Amino acid sequence: MSQSKPSFWDRFFFDWHAGEALGAARLYFGFGLAIYVITQYMQLLLISPAGPHFLFTLPIWYFELLGIEHNLPWLNAPALLLLVLACGFFALGRHTKTAIIAILVLMFYLKGVRDSFSGDVHHREVPIVAILVLFLVSKCDQVFGIDARRKGLAPIADWEGSWPLRAMQVYIALFYFWALVAKLRVSGLYWFENGGHIQDMLLARSLRDGLGPDGAPVNLSLAYDLAQHPIRTFWIGAGVFAFELLFPLILFVRHWKLKLFMLLGATAFHLSNYFLMNVQFFFYPFVFVTFFDMRPLHGWLRRALRLSQPLAA
Amino acid sequence: MTQTQVKRFLLGFFLVLYSAVFLRVDFFPLSWVPMYGVRNTAPILTVAVGDLERRKRGFAATRANGEQLFVSRKLLNMPPANFRRLYQERAFGEGPPQHGRERLALMPFNRWWHETLLGQEQEHQYQAQLLKTVNDTLGHDADDPLRIVQLESQLNYAFFTREHLATGDLSHPATERRTAIITPEGTRILREPGQPLPAP
Repeated sequence: MSQSKPSFWDRFFFDWHAGEALGAARLYFGFGLAIYVITQYMQLLLISPAGPHFLFTLPIWYFELLGIEHNLPWLNAPALLLLVLACGFFALGRHTKTAIIAILVLMFYLKGVRDSFSGDVHHREVPIVAILVLFLVSKCDQVFGIDARRKGLAPIADWEGSWPLRAMQVYIALFYFWALVAKLRVSGLYWFENGGHIQDMLLARSLRDGLGPDGAPVNLSLAYDLAQHPIRTFWIGAGVFAFELLFPLILFVRHWKLKLFMLLGATAFHLSNYFLMNVQFFFYPFVFVTFFDMRPLHGWLRRALRLSQPLAA
Repeated sequence: MTQTQVKRFLLGFFLVLYSAVFLRVDFFPLSWVPMYGVRNTAPILTVAVGDLERRKRGFAATRANGEQLFVSRKLLNMPPANFRRLYQERAFGEGPPQHGRERLALMPFNRWWHETLLGQEQEHQYQAQLLKTVNDTLGHDADDPLRIVQLESQLNYAFFTREHLATGDLSHPATERRTAIITPEGTRILREPGQPLPAP
């Protein structure tokens, strides 16, 4: 380590978390990811494994390159099971790096299948892939896991645990910010002015399954109700605008309660998107474990569950 | 890795990710996160009003031998959300969101690299692809008398004026029933006046 005063960036990336915090984040991120992938790919289990092999109408770009044109319906359930298992191995720190590579490959495959049926490419795996790449290049396999304990590995330095978590936080926080920039760039303030595009979206989503005889939508009736109140829609849009603009400030917050408050706001945003527009991003807030040192919670949970053997290396 | 190597890695990592933002690349796993950034300045908002029961039955279809049947999502062995997109969007010529938004309001530089590296935007034949997919999935080749020669999808549309939207009055939109008839020769969209929507 240099004797000179560390730069802003050194303090920002290297001087924020303890080494073991990386392993604790991996543990909870891994288990959260197992649930997340089930929410994303469960729909592929609604098709018959022995049924016809659907010819994709618009294969995703890498399926096109690889010449994958048909769905193999018998492969989806085993692939999802393997994916969930790989998430478990990753979480517990057993064959961690191999598990990350398996997760990435299986996620690319299942996402490709899901999105190639009709060609709508969803963005729900984009941040996950970036975070997994950061775990892959980090020393997350050497701390707070089964392999680390069995091999009796020495603890990693704090800076080695800090920078991957900080890089993940930068990516997550700025994902919202860039979403705002992209929306403003294309649609300007029309996005939420007088209800604007949000009202259009609420109407389109709530009417796409039709109306019942009572005049209420078959699904997403809350969205239909809200679409009839453009002023409320405007204020919700203004709230989202403020949230996406200011969310990167969380990168400079150390106090866990303030961070929790901001992240609960983000969670409310995702849950609202789900209940109003059926955006399948409701379990995405599990990625917020990367903003915290999860060790105190882990210790509390162990005591509550009366588990004796510590997982920490 | 040393701290210097970490800094170099992070520089490259974020350079790649944020180049996608500035260059407006939208090929998974890189994205400029467009999400719902779509500009619609039409004075009338046109919204598809689905019919869950009709959609569950599927496309009304005709085989080459004249037999009538319904091509449902179960027959095609596909997830419900994707079948909805085929039935209510592709059948009427509407593509996935990325086909429209990717090309909207590109800056000259972005247009230049896009057209230089990826070529001109190709015209997608959604309905022709749909017919091809149905026949391929069901195992019918070009000479098969069981092949599907016509697919039919029916959908109601509601038209909301900007004035009504501004006041939140969604009670009496104009409506239209459209029927997409997809054949190997092309697609016709039949239009007729629709039934009024039940009042909210």
